[in-house]
Amino acid sequence: MQYNGAAVIAMAGKDCIAIASDRRYGLRNQTIGCEMQKTFQINDTTFVGLTGLMSDAQTLEQKFRFRTNMYRLREERDMSPRVFSNMVSSLLYEKRFGPYFCEPVIAGLENGKPYLCGMDLLGAQVYTDDFILAGDCTEAMYGLCESMYRPDLEPDELFELVSQCLLSGVDRDCLAGWGCTVHVLTPQGVTTRHLKGRMD
Amino acid sequence: MRRSSGDKLRDALGLGGFSFDNARRNQVLALKGHMIPKARKTGTTIVGVIYEGGVVLGADTRATEGDTVADKNCEKIHYIADNIWCCGAGTSADTESTTALISSQLELHRMSTGKQPRVVTACTMLKRMLFRYQGHVSAALVLGGVDCTGPSLYTVYPHGSTDSLPYVTMGSGSLAAMAVFESEYKSKMTLEEAKALVHAAIMAGINNDLGSGGSVDMMVINKDGNTPLRNYDRPNLRKFRQDYIFPRGTATILSEKFTPLSSLVTIETETSAMQVS
Amino acid sequence: MGDSAYSFSLTTFSPSGKLVQIEYALNAVASGSTSLGVKAKNGVVIATEKKLPTCLIDETSMQKVVMLTENIAVVYSGMGPDFRVLCRKGRKAAQQYFRVYREIIPVSMLTRELAAVMQEFTQRGGVRPFGISLLLAGFDHNGPQLYQIDPSGSYFAWKASAIGKHMVNAKTFLEKRYNDELELEDAVHTALLTLKEGFEGAMDHTNIEVGIVSADKKFKVLTPAEIKDYLGEVE
Repeated sequence: MQYNGAAVIAMAGKDCIAIASDRRYGLRNQTIGCEMQKTFQINDTTFVGLTGLMSDAQTLEQKFRFRTNMYRLREERDMSPRVFSNMVSSLLYEKRFGPYFCEPVIAGLENGKPYLCGMDLLGAQVYTDDFILAGDCTEAMYGLCESMYRPDLEPDELFELVSQCLLSGVDRDCLAGWGCTVHVLTPQGVTTRHLKGRMD
Repeated sequence: MRRSSGDKLRDALGLGGFSFDNARRNQVLALKGHMIPKARKTGTTIVGVIYEGGVVLGADTRATEGDTVADKNCEKIHYIADNIWCCGAGTSADTESTTALISSQLELHRMSTGKQPRVVTACTMLKRMLFRYQGHVSAALVLGGVDCTGPSLYTVYPHGSTDSLPYVTMGSGSLAAMAVFESEYKSKMTLEEAKALVHAAIMAGINNDLGSGGSVDMMVINKDGNTPLRNYDRPNLRKFRQDYIFPRGTATILSEKFTPLSSLVTIETETSAMQVS
Repeated sequence: MGDSAYSFSLTTFSPSGKLVQIEYALNAVASGSTSLGVKAKNGVVIATEKKLPTCLIDETSMQKVVMLTENIAVVYSGMGPDFRVLCRKGRKAAQQYFRVYREIIPVSMLTRELAAVMQEFTQRGGVRPFGISLLLAGFDHNGPQLYQIDPSGSYFAWKASAIGKHMVNAKTFLEKRYNDELELEDAVHTALLTLKEGFEGAMDHTNIEVGIVSADKKFKVLTPAEIKDYLGEVE
């Protein structure tokens, strides 16, 4: 859905994950804002990145919050990333014949180990142990990720790699860019950094 | 359309049934010329063959989104029951959800009858469900298993028609795979012969069909149980990767903030002010 | 419920604030054959009498200890047909949970689902409360658990409990025998001894049923041969 524009990337490192997105909010070729939030922290160990139609992304984010909060109240525990992605998948497939135009990327730490999962708009899950991409410049990012990715990177190294893959990708995309947000999740906590990007 | 409170409850609990809430809106968006995103498909070569005493199922591992390979190593052989497995081609979400739903219904059936489920039961449940949706749930399946009647193998088409044959293929690579089967299949094969034949058929799909690729997955089912052979052959592993690490400080950081996990944070409360003595 | 002439609830308060229908349901439970459960350190055991009104019935056709998911099982005291209804609803609830999260339902959640159904039947129009109490045994991420659910829809977690005809004596017996260090094997022995206390006539491997959920999170019903071995050990 190339209406608002977005690029999301998630990568696995050594006992850590990184998830990053661009910050542009546009209506086709017109830029409306450059502080758009497209990655969301669901709980201590789970992040979700949402690309596609931003109205659907925001609706979905609210639905996720509702479901995860209800889960926490009922079961007195947090959803693990795996359980969360299964829940998202069934939520999306329920709307099989009138889908949300949104492709989620889920990244987190499942029992301390990286968990990555991508989805199409109908909720078909893809699990990888390296990286997941979504948005409208995936082709540009796939090339860089395929050649630069290395397993077992430390959090700092992972941060630089994710940042470069994302920045290079959005450089060739008119619809995404205007700075990036990068979260690096380790068993200790989350480091959130905003990156300087081209503003054109 | 009126929405009953039952609908809202179902929504809130995330319980079964499709919701058509966005269908009208999406139709309007499509009419206005917005690009509607494509669902992920499994281009796919899936096959199955009966050998003396069991069934061998096979699948490639490529999932595509348009011309892009979305997943290089996805799993297309889905669990139905311990003695029944199902390969799926078509829209990924449809094959995954349909097989999971039938698996769940078959488990309820198994518990209430107290007997091992039969492959024909799973086949009938699948075709009834797919026929009800008139092909809109686009799942093309190869269903195989072993039950009290011995090994059986079915193909299920998206519209709900089925075939029962000793060797079957499905998906975009079905012609390539069937060519192998037609030239080399023989009745009463041994397990090793069947595995070699399935491997050759999937390889034909991987090498000749653009929608299929990646590795060869297999599943052997016989009366002793099932043996998953995930990534039985990986002919297309990545050979080269750049061994380069970006030096720290490559990206220009505007702001940085560290938030410790909430489970690691201890909240200290002022207790002294509370003490009254 | 619909607008039929019977859409009012049959369970109504008495002037003293009691719901007598529920008390009658509890009487139905108390006249049912005894069932009990014991939680051990590494598993749970549930057991019940399988008393038949006549020897002409084929006892292999009856099953009172029933699996809901691979790691949760349930046994009842009271009216058999009511149990079937709850069994079906329990299994369905478990599958619905699995369909959403691809994870087996926790014992506490399934207990809550069943308790909610039983509560609804004390308040809804046109229905009567269930004439059974349930003992639910399971093993999940929280370890071994034993729950009891009553016709009112109230539920409790127990270390060991008994329901049915000899529940009072059985509970007193369990209170004396129970300790927190019990292993699953000991728990089976305790369960059999307790069942034997109140058993009318000779207890053997054909007229009781025993199910165990062990630390591998798998439930199984003991075969008559296995029960026979255990019975040999306690004698």
